[in-house]
Amino acid sequence: MIEISFTQIISTILLMLLGIAVGAQVAPIMSWVERRQCAIIQRRLGPNRVGFFQFRLLGLGQPIADAIKLLFKEDFVPPYVHKAFYVLAPVVPVATGLAVTVAIPWGSHVVVNNQIINLQAVNLNSGFLLIFALSSLAVYGVTLAGWSSNNKYSLLGGLRASAQMVSYEVAMGLSIIPLVFIWGTLDLQTMITKQSEILWGFLPNWGFIHAPISFFVFIVTIFAETNRLPFDLAESEGELVAGFLTEYGAMRWSLFFLGEYSMMFVMCVLTVSLFFGGYELPWLSQHYLLEILNPQVGEVLARWILLPLGIIVLLTKVILLMWIFVQVRFTIPRFRYDQLMKLGWIYLLPIALINLIITAIVTAIVKFH
Amino acid sequence: MITQISFLIMGVMAVFLSALMITRKWPVTSAMLLIVVMMLIAGMYGLLGAHFSAVAQIIVYAGAIMVVFVFVIMLLNLPPEELRYGRITIGELLLTALGFIVALFLGTKVGQGYLISNLNSNSLINARPPYYPASMNENVKNVSALMFTDYLWAFELISFLILVAIVGAIVIAKKAKVSDAKSA
Amino acid sequence: MPSLPELGIYFSLLLFITGLFGVMFRKNLIFMMLSVEVMLNAANLAFISASSMTNTIDGQVIMFFVMAVAACEAGIGLALIISLYRAKSSVEIDDLRILRG
Repeated sequence: MIEISFTQIISTILLMLLGIAVGAQVAPIMSWVERRQCAIIQRRLGPNRVGFFQFRLLGLGQPIADAIKLLFKEDFVPPYVHKAFYVLAPVVPVATGLAVTVAIPWGSHVVVNNQIINLQAVNLNSGFLLIFALSSLAVYGVTLAGWSSNNKYSLLGGLRASAQMVSYEVAMGLSIIPLVFIWGTLDLQTMITKQSEILWGFLPNWGFIHAPISFFVFIVTIFAETNRLPFDLAESEGELVAGFLTEYGAMRWSLFFLGEYSMMFVMCVLTVSLFFGGYELPWLSQHYLLEILNPQVGEVLARWILLPLGIIVLLTKVILLMWIFVQVRFTIPRFRYDQLMKLGWIYLLPIALINLIITAIVTAIVKFH
Repeated sequence: MITQISFLIMGVMAVFLSALMITRKWPVTSAMLLIVVMMLIAGMYGLLGAHFSAVAQIIVYAGAIMVVFVFVIMLLNLPPEELRYGRITIGELLLTALGFIVALFLGTKVGQGYLISNLNSNSLINARPPYYPASMNENVKNVSALMFTDYLWAFELISFLILVAIVGAIVIAKKAKVSDAKSA
Repeated sequence: MPSLPELGIYFSLLLFITGLFGVMFRKNLIFMMLSVEVMLNAANLAFISASSMTNTIDGQVIMFFVMAVAACEAGIGLALIISLYRAKSSVEIDDLRILRG
């Protein structure tokens, strides 16, 4: 039988709680970032008044005020909906969005009680496929919400959104496989460790330099997976009344957005881990820093010092990427549905396939030279 | 200990939910219950050491096949079905009982003992609990090494089968054009 | 307490029987297809348990093939259900009696 020790159980629980805490806090902060950035792009001020005790705090109290308002609004279940799925549908994006945070690599490892604790709550051999698996379950939230509302427009909006999400999953999976060829493993920790080396003397060995086409296809598919503009027909205010969200009020509506922002956060973490080196600084890898710190404070304490450094580096990169998401939202107009499906099937899928074949041939030539 | 308890809980829940699933009125409820059953089965695969199969089960079954089911159910807008159980004949009852007996024989130790003693392979006699010492970390590598060497023909044929199924499904589900009907 | 893969075989047996009852006693084609999926999953569980019992990997490889075949069958079955619904406005097998079967 596999030995599971007490420290490992406790550390897994703590890492999962860390993932859930970060995933749940992204939504309010991102809503503030989005409203301020939207305002700055449109040459006006955003919400910058709500603060605490006469300090404006740049309007950071706005998400808290929004949450309080939404909690105290009337929770109305319309009588004509299918009750069980109406109540269940907002839970699915939240559950999958928070569950998918378990595979985030926060750092390399620490040593507790003479045991090596990998700083990733779930370290399966099939690495990041866990993120794909759980994000492909997020389709059901949208579909159930659309169907249970007992309303033709919601049903159409929900089915269109789920068709969009399923179509872009194909291109998403195919665009990641060349990276598996290049790094030779499915494990996120190994990939990040390999990205900490130096390529050709001065460049960091990032996935972005090895596979730029993969990066662009992956970024486009992430936008479609999380229903963000320019692919957000499902929530398009003004076209389908409100799409699949028509019958959802107060807190249930905000649960959908909690799930969406959390999923966006995890997808950005996956992008950063695959293409931009994850928690490693570009030229000062953790291995190098460990060698500097090791003679001075010993290995165990050095690893505990590198833990917050890794988390800060990871969160900085992810925040930059999410800020780019917000910028794109207010720059590009929305796609029509047939343009969207055409992009997913007729343009992205062949590009991802050809990229896969070329990368396979080049990797085979390089490895078996 | 923990793995055995969780395997038992997952198995019992899977059987209970699938028994619930075949007796529901709404097709959507059955589809959602089947999704939960598939995730539980994926959990069981994970406990048996097949991590890649577990993740593939969730991606393919729960994330793709069931989405197609749910699409069809929602687009066809099927009404809830009243459960009508037809009259069961004596022949059906006898055959079901015979099926149970054969299944129990095959599935329990008596049957395994009978079958094993007729085989000449050593590995089945020394059935060990699941414990892959080093290959727990190399599951994907082992599965793909086998799939692309011994089972390569099957792999290529399966990919061709999937292509045929895609084309066939689109052709069958397309609406007949008015010009086709006139020319027939 | 039997070992883990042996429990897996027992559960796969129970799941298969449940799926079989679903196919036998439901008259709606969608429910019959869902029960067939349960049966295929039970078979997959038996394959994985067997591969775990003998410490080989062949069972997991075969499971992938069974899964691919199940996907194809579900796709074509649902396409047939759609075109049947267009022709007859019903998906109960009692209403499909043209061949008096």
